[in-house]
Amino acid sequence: MTSAATRRRVGHAAATVLFLAVFTHALPAAAQELVREPAYRAFPLIGSRLAVWAVAQLHLNFAAFILGVPVFAVIIEIIGWWTGDPKYDWLSHEFVKLVFAAFSTTALLGALLLFLFVGFYPRFWAFMTNIFVTTYWIYALLFFAETFSVYLWYYGWNWLSGPRKWLHVSLGVVSNLFGIAILFIANSWLTFMMSPTGITESGALKGSVWGAIHNATWMPINVHRLIANLVFGGTIAGAYAAFRFLNAETDDERARYDWMGYIANFVALSAFIVLPFAGYWLGREIYAFNQTMGITMMGGFMSWLWIIQAILIGVLFFGNNYYLWLGMERIPGSERYRKYIPYMLSILALGFMVWATPHSLIVTLQEARAMGGTHHPLLGVFGVMSAKNTAVNLMILTTFLSYVLYRRANKLSIRSWVLTGMAVQWAAFVVAAAIVVFYGVYGYFVESIVRIGFSVYQVGAVLGAIVLVMTIDVPMFRGARSTGPIRWGQIPPRSQYVLILLAVTFTWLMGLMGFARSGIRQYWHVYGVMRDTSVDAVTPALGYASNMITLVTIVFFAFVMFIFWLGGLSERGEAGAHAPVVAPTGAGSRAPRR
Amino acid sequence: MRVPVGVKLSAFALVIMGSYTYFANSIPQIESKPPAELSLEGGDVSPAQLVKFGEEIFHTKGTCEICHKIGEKGTRAPDLAGVGARAAHRRPGSTAKQYLIESLLEPQAYLVEGYPPIMPKVDKPPIGLNRSELWALVAFLESLGGTVDVKLDDIPKTAGAPAGGGGTAAAELTLPGDPKAGQALFTGKAICFTCHTVDKIAAGKIGPDLTQIAKIQTPQYIMAKVLNPAAMGTVPGYPKGVMPPTFGQMLTAKEYVDLVAFLLTLK
Repeated sequence: MTSAATRRRVGHAAATVLFLAVFTHALPAAAQELVREPAYRAFPLIGSRLAVWAVAQLHLNFAAFILGVPVFAVIIEIIGWWTGDPKYDWLSHEFVKLVFAAFSTTALLGALLLFLFVGFYPRFWAFMTNIFVTTYWIYALLFFAETFSVYLWYYGWNWLSGPRKWLHVSLGVVSNLFGIAILFIANSWLTFMMSPTGITESGALKGSVWGAIHNATWMPINVHRLIANLVFGGTIAGAYAAFRFLNAETDDERARYDWMGYIANFVALSAFIVLPFAGYWLGREIYAFNQTMGITMMGGFMSWLWIIQAILIGVLFFGNNYYLWLGMERIPGSERYRKYIPYMLSILALGFMVWATPHSLIVTLQEARAMGGTHHPLLGVFGVMSAKNTAVNLMILTTFLSYVLYRRANKLSIRSWVLTGMAVQWAAFVVAAAIVVFYGVYGYFVESIVRIGFSVYQVGAVLGAIVLVMTIDVPMFRGARSTGPIRWGQIPPRSQYVLILLAVTFTWLMGLMGFARSGIRQYWHVYGVMRDTSVDAVTPALGYASNMITLVTIVFFAFVMFIFWLGGLSERGEAGAHAPVVAPTGAGSRAPRR
Repeated sequence: MRVPVGVKLSAFALVIMGSYTYFANSIPQIESKPPAELSLEGGDVSPAQLVKFGEEIFHTKGTCEICHKIGEKGTRAPDLAGVGARAAHRRPGSTAKQYLIESLLEPQAYLVEGYPPIMPKVDKPPIGLNRSELWALVAFLESLGGTVDVKLDDIPKTAGAPAGGGGTAAAELTLPGDPKAGQALFTGKAICFTCHTVDKIAAGKIGPDLTQIAKIQTPQYIMAKVLNPAAMGTVPGYPKGVMPPTFGQMLTAKEYVDLVAFLLTLK
């Protein structure tokens, strides 16, 4: 073990101990004392809300990264173990290295957030503690378990190789289970604030803490965040790969990081495609829990937030597709599919325009009279849920089509049933698109309560098409004839800027969604139970929120760059410490050892 | 000179974030402010004033207009144009005001055909209208085609959430002050009794009745009102500028806390 590694271990351990020391300090006895304290204290200069907002968002970003990346890192490790291809093992180790570097920062930010709650929101903290104290202990124990299992996973990479590889893979799986459990517990606190249950009218716990944990938005948020963490982890890892690609000095290095960027983006894209569906579920549960909250979210003062969200998601769709199209340039044989790109671009552009159309417009009285209301006579038709659901589902289908074309770009199927298979695949696309459009149009002629149910059919059609197409695609192209290997590293440099665009946009989007989730509580700490009576009870406008989100995102990326730079420093001193480092090649051929 | 990759990427990232920030700042900026508490108890309010207050609650704290339109059919809730007249015939044996009060406090008791049972009880959190606000809102609804005849006593005494102040936290708020000492101040040194009524304690008529002040106002409001009455506004129907602004100087810190502790017992 090197001295650098020892220092890192000590640092990580110290950070963890500090976090737990702070955490346990905030337990019941201390919290009960706090009831006698003032409800709020003011954080110097910027105020308590901004301080909590910034630290909470930073903590959440890092936590999302360290929880998301291990999920696909262990899957990649399993693929490498299964296939015996060492490039996957290298890639998995590379991903875990990024997580490891960010681990202590996450813990420190968590401790800082706790300091802020205890110090500046003492009554709120005491209230939450009275309900959730049991979960604090479990959370702390899980944090220990997560920390040590990830340490073992990372440091035991070489030790637990060969015949003991199964043990190493198991460690990766176990650390992910601990991570998911931590995520679920933290989610119970914040979802309780949104949709409190299991308490009396005076705010006391009715039965066990499970009643408060298992609230209306808990599981939808769990699923939504789990998927979003994968997207986030993928985009940040992709940005890291892009940075390394653009700094690469050899073709070999460029090939490696091109491949890493592709895999990271593939992970992000795969998870991103299903993310809107989890969002629908969450939205439906919010409406079911409290109509007022749901309507405030979608039709009240937050309605314009969804226009910004539409633009960001539109950018993510464009970016992902553009990256795939650029990637096809390094695949011999892809020429035959490039003719479809203008059509796919047109669908994406139209979908984007529909999705970004506001439902109602802020206009002057004269303009409103001229239009006959706040809805534009023509464009207003596209601002409603029917049109938007149709648009996003068609955009998802188009993005999936891009991926399918990319996947088969250098492959020629040798199956006798290839024509039938392709016909069924195209039919699946057409039928899914027809179902999406049909229910989109039909939605204009039914009551809203019926219309909401149509989104399930639209989503079902798209998911069904994805499953059917892939079920045919995998066997159809197994053992396919190759038109040439993928020329890793020969992708245009602008593709790497796309990866940066995706990472920055998704991080900003996470900040925006954090504001949405927190903001729909408006002037309540715990919705309908504990009012925010502080000077910050006003929920700010979107401009103010966006300034804050941008600042936090800048700080986050500054931290990330610093941490990655630190990771690079240790690498310089440990050349060859982790073998095997290989350059990937394409289309199923074995990667040569470097 | 070759620009380092890190600098180029940072500049690129800043441009992206700058674009999003610019767009978010260029669209309509709407804040969501906590609603103010309305207190009319003991006040001599004219029907016209009541309707005006009720209309404001309809558009703001009550959040009624999110679902209900006036003169336009809504998909979530009925059009309220003419509801003041229609309410009298909705349920046999119920007057307009009885029907309207029931619709606000027990909205699932009677559903207009074709609409889903989605309306929340408006006296419960998160909307949490107090009795004064319910009174004003019913008056406004009656005014939509009917006659305003609702009185505060028509609103059930049990209606109305404890007003704001932190919900649960407010209900459990305990000050270190001594309520008994505070009551002595109320009827003595602080001379509150000369202007305010408190059941069985004082019968002043110049200012509002404080018999249930802790139920209808937040602790924060009460504390601030004692120290700076002008800044907290005047209850409709009462003369402005009468309450002295000098309690901060007149009372010691302990006396002030005792007085507030007493006022917080008035529920």
